[in-house]
Amino acid sequence: MPNAEPSTPAAATRDAGSRPRPLEDHEPSHRRPLGLVLAAGAALLLGAAVWAIPREHAPLPAVAHEALRVALPTWHILEPVNEVVYGTRGFDTFGETFLLLAAVVGVVVITRGREARRGYIGEEEAGARERRQDDPPSRSGRAATEAKEGEAEEEGRGRGPATPDAEPLGTPAPERAEGMTVVVRGAVRVISPVLAVAGLYLAAWGYSPGGGFPAGAVIVGVVLLAYVSLGYKRIERVVRPGIIEPIELAGATAIVALGVFGLVFKGSFSANFLPLGQPETIPSGGILQLFSGSELIEVATGLTIAIFGLLGMGHEWSDDTDEAQGEGAGEGDGDGTGGSR
Amino acid sequence: MIVVNYLAAAALFATGLYAVLTKRNLIKIVMGLSLMEGSTYLFLISLAYRAKSTAPVLLSPPGHLGPRALAHGNVADPVLQNFCLTAIVIGVAVTGVFLAVTVRIVQHYKTLDADRVRDLRG
Repeated sequence: MPNAEPSTPAAATRDAGSRPRPLEDHEPSHRRPLGLVLAAGAALLLGAAVWAIPREHAPLPAVAHEALRVALPTWHILEPVNEVVYGTRGFDTFGETFLLLAAVVGVVVITRGREARRGYIGEEEAGARERRQDDPPSRSGRAATEAKEGEAEEEGRGRGPATPDAEPLGTPAPERAEGMTVVVRGAVRVISPVLAVAGLYLAAWGYSPGGGFPAGAVIVGVVLLAYVSLGYKRIERVVRPGIIEPIELAGATAIVALGVFGLVFKGSFSANFLPLGQPETIPSGGILQLFSGSELIEVATGLTIAIFGLLGMGHEWSDDTDEAQGEGAGEGDGDGTGGSR
Repeated sequence: MIVVNYLAAAALFATGLYAVLTKRNLIKIVMGLSLMEGSTYLFLISLAYRAKSTAPVLLSPPGHLGPRALAHGNVADPVLQNFCLTAIVIGVAVTGVFLAVTVRIVQHYKTLDADRVRDLRG
């Protein structure tokens, strides 16, 4: 928790009432013996259950044989796992995709700020600075505002330099800077295109191990590397809700369209309606490859939205609104008296 | 000896369950749930394993097996690998939602302690 320790002694006395107490030395817990008994019981039950299930010498189940049998003749694809994911059990993957989408929508709804924002990170601070200039906080709110600023500064948000290269050693500037040092930035600039191509390769060459899910995870990794090394300002033009949310929904629409086209042209949902290419070529799987590519988009943008939504949640402490109403202080500045209720 | 993996998965699941039942720190509860998810991945992948088998890829099988021979041969179970892939994606999605809810709870109640999150304020 960022504000378990107030930044200065003055802040400590001022906020003693409103800040949460530091975590206790011994960790509080619930009904430890009961938990131990239940967990041990679950372990015994599961252990007994898994003891009896087939082990490594059992024959493959019929469904696995079926997947291996149809992969090459029916789908012209050499990778049964991809064939199962996007072909035989495509409807399962369809449902999973929309579970992911529902979770992303849930995260977006939960993490959304009170005001519409263009980007994910840092806008609330810029807005707060502007608001303070136009509408200086009342006396009771000022202390809280200063405490908040100190907190933001401590976390390196708001006022740090763009890069720590020109900053002297031994100052807190490197922690406050937007980006990381030139070594890290250089390494990330070199490695990012390689990683991005590797991610796309995983999805495009879907007839060998890979597919849209791992590829999407690799693309998310590239975005996160760029974020931590260069800072949010450098990727702000691309990683913002106005761009990646439509891409996410386009991926979801493509998946629905693939399923419905199968229904229209071949009479069953998610059936292959495209000509199959030669095995070991990119178009070999028919709609499998398109499905995989749509999953790449879906996973990459969905996880990016969820991660940046969490990163940009900001400090919208609840007391801001109700205290502000209570004492008529400026909006967002009233958490100085939070503990007194 | 793959049964060791099965038992390890059961033990991991029970460890996660213990954390969820006894911890009061919300982040630790989410970690316990993630541990339970992880035990599922281990279990599914172990269940897919077959002795002396190869990966379920028909691209260039080892030895003198052609792709068609391999299709009837000794490979890991691709269907269970698919289940594991599904489980991973769902696990990530669910953990993301849990963490978002946790941050909002912390902002609202100013505590991570699940026991203090009881009263309805306002």
